[in-house]
This record gives sequence, structure tokens and C-alpha cells, in this order.
Amino acid sequence: MSTHTQPHARHRIGLAPLAVLALLLYAAFLIYPLVQSFITSLTNRNVLNATNAFIGFANFAELVHDERFLRSLGFTLVVVLFVTVVSNVFGLLFAMLLNGPARHYKIMRTLVFIPQVLSGVIVAFMWRSILTENGLLNSVLQGTGLTQQPISWLGTPELATLSICVVVSWMTIAFTTVVYTAALQSVPAELHEAARMDGAGPLNRFRNVTLPMIAPGTTISVTLTLITTLKLFDVIAVLTGGGPANSTKSVAFYLIDVAFTSNRFGYASAIAMVLLALTAVVAYGVTYLLRRREAHL
Amino acid sequence: MSALLLNRTTRGRALAAWLVTVAFIVPIYIALVSAFKSQSQILSNPLGPPVPFTWENIGNALSRPDALVQTGLLNSIVVTVATLLVLIPLAAAASFWISERTGWVKSGLIALFALGLMIPPQVVLQPIVSLLQSVGLANSYPGLILSNIGGGYMSFAVFVYVGFLRTVPRDVIEAARVDGASELRVWWTIVMPLLRPATATVGIFLGLWVWNDFLNPLFILGPLQGQTITTGIYQSLGQYSTDYGQLFGIMFLAALIPVVGYLVTQREFIHGLMSGASKG
Amino acid sequence: MTSRRRIMTATVLALTTALGLSACSQGGGGSLTFMVFETPALDAKFWDTSIATAAKEAPSTTIKKIVSTDADRTKYAKQLQASGQFPDILASISPKDFTGAKLLKPFDQKWLDDNFLQPTANAIEGETYIPPTNSQIIPLVFYNKKIFADNGISVPTTWADFTAAITKLRAAGITPLELAGSEAWAASMPLVGLASADVLGKDPTWIQKLYKGGAKLSDPLFANAMQKAVNLVKMGAYNPAALSVDFKTANSNFLAGKSAMYPMGSWFTGSSYITAAQADNIGVFPWPTDDGSVVIPFNVGGTTSVSATSKNVDAAQKFAQAWSLAPANLKVLIETDGAFPMMKKLSIKDFGATVSSLYNSSYSYVTNSNTKVSSFGWVNNDDALAPGINDSFYALAQSVFSDSDVKTQLTKLDADWAAATKK
Repeated sequence: MSTHTQPHARHRIGLAPLAVLALLLYAAFLIYPLVQSFITSLTNRNVLNATNAFIGFANFAELVHDERFLRSLGFTLVVVLFVTVVSNVFGLLFAMLLNGPARHYKIMRTLVFIPQVLSGVIVAFMWRSILTENGLLNSVLQGTGLTQQPISWLGTPELATLSICVVVSWMTIAFTTVVYTAALQSVPAELHEAARMDGAGPLNRFRNVTLPMIAPGTTISVTLTLITTLKLFDVIAVLTGGGPANSTKSVAFYLIDVAFTSNRFGYASAIAMVLLALTAVVAYGVTYLLRRREAHL
Repeated sequence: MSALLLNRTTRGRALAAWLVTVAFIVPIYIALVSAFKSQSQILSNPLGPPVPFTWENIGNALSRPDALVQTGLLNSIVVTVATLLVLIPLAAAASFWISERTGWVKSGLIALFALGLMIPPQVVLQPIVSLLQSVGLANSYPGLILSNIGGGYMSFAVFVYVGFLRTVPRDVIEAARVDGASELRVWWTIVMPLLRPATATVGIFLGLWVWNDFLNPLFILGPLQGQTITTGIYQSLGQYSTDYGQLFGIMFLAALIPVVGYLVTQREFIHGLMSGASKG
Repeated sequence: MTSRRRIMTATVLALTTALGLSACSQGGGGSLTFMVFETPALDAKFWDTSIATAAKEAPSTTIKKIVSTDADRTKYAKQLQASGQFPDILASISPKDFTGAKLLKPFDQKWLDDNFLQPTANAIEGETYIPPTNSQIIPLVFYNKKIFADNGISVPTTWADFTAAITKLRAAGITPLELAGSEAWAASMPLVGLASADVLGKDPTWIQKLYKGGAKLSDPLFANAMQKAVNLVKMGAYNPAALSVDFKTANSNFLAGKSAMYPMGSWFTGSSYITAAQADNIGVFPWPTDDGSVVIPFNVGGTTSVSATSKNVDAAQKFAQAWSLAPANLKVLIETDGAFPMMKKLSIKDFGATVSSLYNSSYSYVTNSNTKVSSFGWVNNDDALAPGINDSFYALAQSVFSDSDVKTQLTKLDADWAAATKK
């Protein structure tokens, strides 16, 4: 017996050092920065003014009156809402359209999935070359006589916001299409067949068979779309740089701006806390609602 | 009659599918052909095919005096490979260890790691930069790699592994334990092979994310130690010396590895998403 | 046991490989970093050559070039500072943004007195952080002689002439004013002209009053000038998509005759922007004022600032001085970037530079006696705007396209100013 207990005791510690190492790294590069960010949000830390004093919640009070911040919040909500709705609706439609049996459907799916493996920097540059004043879109519009003057796709606050919404949706649709395709392929064909036998029409089959069966996929797709859009940075940096006149700065972009170009670390951390709260509320809220819906369906 | 009708709807659907696909990938088509067209061709006829075909943009991109593409690709490979080499075994071991726990320890640890899934990287960026400065790893590759390993990517890996481990039958592992194998041995020779599909998912997605990452290389690595390919493109966008054609050339070279990687691992790629999507 | 050791070895190996990289990436003693920025004139080749020229004077140091990713190099320098890699030497930043935290090392006054025509032109509270090597006029208004002749337009001297010309050109279907609106600094050119000519032209001490609280951006003097910017948009002075046009495109649009006038800095006279043949068809006039008096928005520029936090401040300063004094460097700046030299020991002829007719006619505004005021937002002396305000001012240049309520926007700018100057 004693010969058995010894190795047993040893293999009990076996993986603990690796797990602890993983936990330590995670604590150092995620938990600690998170706590640090909260502490800094209560200070006026600024490297360029060489200030670093505890000021309570004054940063948060300033946020409420900071027009640029409120504008970035509004912009972020518009983009998040647009991208989430558009990319999930079109993702599902694309997935149903491209989920065909023939071999060439596989080629189409392969092509449509490509944008998601490209970096935001590349995607934004590709689109910038299309959307500039003398870009493809304006030359097509003017060439076909649809417009006389070039349209300022990146130059007015409204159109620049729309451009960012469209470009991010384009990227995200590639991702949601994969998720919905995967979800659709996990629906057993017999279910559709059975519904058809019962005399259900296409719309009925979609509502009563497809939607409930892909509900877990919907949850994943919507949640991930929300989280990735909330932290959007690279597409904005390349496409508009936050302009014109700060109109396309997301909260995440404004946060980086305040931290790394105004060097107001304290204030930036307060923005970080708001972004974190926003993400948590949206992510957990939507997941909760969708999970409840899954159960109902 | 009905067969003919069916045939017609099938064909109609295929046509619609192709139209949508083609319209959707127009931007990619433009970027691709522009990499092989002269500056004037790009501006005068962006949609036209690359005729006459030219390698000049690719050549210009590769012969830049700052070797932006070559060093960028090399740096990206180093950062991505080093991150994955450390992160995958570490996360797999931690996940296996966690999945062997019970009660609040297990649920607490899972909740702790899940936290990282939703934290926007901007929120923790500045404190990470300060932390690395205080330990002398600021603006260095080890600093970037360590913050990749310890950050939100760890959460994703643990999330995938712990989820997958729920589906792994316990009896194989228990049998090995009864045979007196050490825990490390059980993990390495029994669990890791069982985890292979999860490892494929983790490797593919994290590889892609680390490769395409913009924020961390831009601020944690900075310009002094050279760029990754992603920040390198951003850098060249700000340079007036670069012409449009060359930029498309740089972008073609930068996108080559992820796109080819995606085409090769497509089955695992979609499978990874599928397991996530169906399990929830 | 062996497999266990193997795993540990593999893990340790992976970690040390990752960490070991630091050894090869952090080597190199006596090396200095130099943050530069690129424009059509100041391209990679210019910087490499000019660095090599200056390095001959300071042979023991090696220079590592960092290229700003942002056209606004001051912004990029702050980003580098925030991520702990403030460069040793910085090209053409706005020093005022960094003097608050004492991040820059001033130059020796005797050295400045010995070498420059206006040794205190860049002084901030008596200290100079950028050698005053050359000057610029920001902006001038360049115009297409042929378009003016074809439409019977003579060179405007008063604001009324100017707006009449714009109306006439618009009616003839020609874009009156070119604007690189997608790049905020370039979009601000008309506003810089208005603020310099209309505000500083009437009261040269106005920016100092702003600092002391004796003036506000929302005061009628400044607000009326900005109202003119809104009026320009309303009268169709620009391409409706001007805010989607980048600097490179704007330059080629103007030179291709797609627009009649172009408010831009005097660097536009350099060979990197305009060929000698093109220059013959381009004329120049100063930004017009209400009464037609000549007011020149003047900036004594320069390039090399030195970080006070550099590990080797002396070597950095030595390099910065060598770079700024090298005649070969300034010669290139004169030819390609239209720089007007301000050296005590070297007159324009001494450089043997080849310049265009347009350069000469622009340079005459520097040498002639006339009213010179600080170029608003561009100068490097006590008249420089408070840290971060340039950004807000640039944003205003873009927002006048969609928001004609000047008063409200300037009240916000006042709030920004108050926050930026609050200690």
C-alpha cells in the first residue's frame, strides 16, 4: 500500500505548477491591469502635467459633461446596433442561400468567409480606396450619371458613420455567415422532412424548425458581434482616423486618444471603466435574453 | 414537369447565390488585381483585370530600403509562434487541472477566466504598458508575447479547452492513473491527444488574432523594435513616399499567410466554430 | 520520468526563447532615436541622407529613425511618450506640448545667437527648443494663372475681391478653392489664414491675451473670422466632397487645373510638389484682408528638438545642432520643401539651390518689409497654442462643413482652452 500512496501524492501536485503559472500570468496581464485601471480612474494622473493625485469620482463627473465623450458614446451605440442587426440578418440569409448541396456552393462559402481572416487594417484600406473622393464608388456613380458631384463618403459625419457601419458589417457578415452555416448544418434534415410531411410551408418551417435549432448559434453570433464591435479600433484608425471633426470616434478610440495623445491617464481610465461596464451590461444582458429565448423555443 | 420546375428553382438559387457572392467579394477582387496593376491602371480602371500584368508592385514592396515586408512578416511569425507555443500547453494544462477540481474552486476559476473574454483590450492597455515599463520589458518582443499569453487570449483558450474537456470520457484518464502514470504523463500522453480538435480551434483562432492584432503591437511593441506586418502596413499608409500600387503589393504579401492558412485549415476552422455554435 | 522532464524542458525552452529575444533586441550602446515624419518633400531618402550628413559631425553615435504614423507628429510624439519610448531627437514637433513636463532640452543661447538671423524667434519663456533654421508662410494662396485669365479674374487683394472671384468661378463651374479636407491639418489652412490675418493682423498680442484671460475664442474678433470660414463653405468655395480629399490628391487636383486657388503653406513652392514648368502657370498672393492690407502669417520653423530625458542628452544635442547647421540639409529643404533660410552666415545664394519662379515670388513676402504675424497654430514660440488645442482647432476646420453655428463651437473651444491651460 505504501508504495502506492507515494506516487499518488506526487501526481496530485503534477499539473499544479503549470496551472499556477497560467493563473499568475493571467493575474499579471489581465486582473492586475483591470484593478490598476480602476484605481487610476480615481486620480488626475497625467504625465505631461506631471500630476497624480486622488480626486475621487471627479473624472466620472467630468465625463457626464464631456461632449466629445457623449458623442463617442452615441456613435458607438449606433455602430454596435447597426452592425449587430445587419450582420446577423445578412449572415443568416447568406448562410441559408449558400448552404446548398452542390460542390460549387462550397466554393462560394469559401469566398464569402475570406474577409474574416483579413486584419481590420487591410480591410479598412481596401475600402478607403473605394470610398475616397476619386474612388471607385464615386467614379461608378458619376460614370452612370447617378450623381453629378462626387459624394463625400468619408467627409460628412453622417456618411462617414454610415461608411464605418457598412465596412464593419461587411467584415462581420463573413464571420456570422460561418457561424450560421455551421448551425444550419447541425440541423438534421429529417426534421425539415417531417415538417414538410406535416404540410408546413417554407416560412413556417423556417420559424418552427430552423430558428429554434440554430438558437445556440444565434446566441454566439450576436454576443461575439456585440463584443468585437464595442472594442472596434483598427478600422476607424485607418478609414477615418476618427474624423471628420471627431465624429467617428468610438468610445474605445476616444479612450486611446485621451490616454496616449492627451496623456491624461486618470481620465482615460474613467472612460475605460465606462466602456467595461457598457460591454458587461450588453454582453451579459444579451446573452441572458437569448438564452431565455433558447429555452422558450 | 415537377423535375423541370425543381431544376429551374435550383438553377435560380445557384444564380442568386453566385450574384451575392460576387458582389460581396468585389473589394477583395479590387485589392487582388490592384496588386498586379500599374498606378495609372489602378486609378483609371479599378475594376479592370490586371492586363498588362505587372510584378512591379510586389517587387517594389519587397525592395523597400527599410525591408518593411520581410521584417514585418518575420516579426509577426516570431510573435505568433512564440505566443502559441507557450499559451497552448499552458492553457491546456491549466484547463485540465481546473476540470479536475470540484465545487466553488472550479466554478470560481472558470468565472475568473471567462472575465477576460469580454474585456476590451483598450481598458487594460495603459496599465500593461506601465507594468512592462516597471519590469524593464517595455517595447520588447518578450513584453508583447507575455501580454499576449496572459491577456484575453488565455481566456479564450481556457474557455475552449474546459468546454471540450466536458465531452472527454473520464474512464481513459482514470485507467491511466490506475496504471500509476504521473499526472504530467497523463496530461501529455493521454489528455493532449484527446484535446487535439480543441487545440486546432485554439491554434487557428489565436494564431489569426495574434497575427492580425493591431493595438498591442502598436502600443506595447512600438516602433523602436520594428513592426509586425499589421502595424507595418499602418505605418506605410502614413508615408508619402509610398505609392498606391506598392501599398496594394504590401497588402497582398501581408494577407497571403492568413488567407492560405485559412484555405488549408478550412475544415478545422469551420469545425471549431461549429462546435462552439452548437454547444453554446 | 523522461517524458515529464521532456515536458518541463519544452516549457522552459519555450519561455526562454520568448524571453531570450530581449537580449538581441535591446543591444547597441550610443544609439539615439530620431522621430521624423514624411511628406512628399521630406521622404525616406531625405531623412536617411540628412541623418548621414549630420552623423559625420557626431561619429560615435548611431541614429535609429522612427517614422511618425500620424501626419501630426506632435500627437505621435505624445503617443511614444505615453508608451515609454520618447525619442532622443524629434523633428518639427510643437515644443509647447512638452515644456510643461520639462521633456525638452533648450539650446544654448550663444549657439543660437551665433548661427541664426532671428535667434529668439522660437523662444518659449526665453528658452529655444527648436533651432530657428528656416521660415515659412502658412498659408499663402496659390492660383492658376490660366484659369484666372480665362475667366477675367484679377489677383484679389481685399476679401470682397476674393469672394467675388469665388462666386464667379463657381458660376463658371470651376471649383474655386482646393482643400485637402480629409487631413485635418490641411483642412485648417483657410482657418489659419483667417485667424492670422483677421485676428492677429488687427491685434498681434491677441494669443498672449488669450493666455492671460484677456480674450476669448468666442469673442467677436475671432468669431467673425471663423464665420468667414462658414461663409466660404456656404458660397460653394470647395468641392462638396472636399473632406474626402487627401493631401496628395488635392495637390494633383490643383496642378491639373481642376480648381483655381489653393491655400497652402509655402512648402508647396518646393520641387517635390511642383515642377518648374508647372510653377510658371501658378501665381501667389497673401491671404486677403478686409481692407486689402498685406498681413503675412509667418512661422520661423526648424526641425530638431532634443529630449531632456534622453540617456545621452549631450550626444543628442550635438547631433541636433549638426543636423540643423549642415548646409546640405537646408539646401534640400529649400529646393524640395520651399524652405526660406534664416541662417546668419549663409544667404540664399550661398546654398546654390535651384528654385522655381514661384519660390522666388513667395520668398519676396519674407524679404519685403510688411506686417508679419504669427501663423496661428503653427509657430513654435510663446504664441503656440496650448497643448492639444491644435487638434480642436483642426476639428473646427472640418466641422464648419456641416455645422454653421460658430458661436457654440467656439464656446466649446474656450472650454478646451481653459482645461488645457489649467494647472
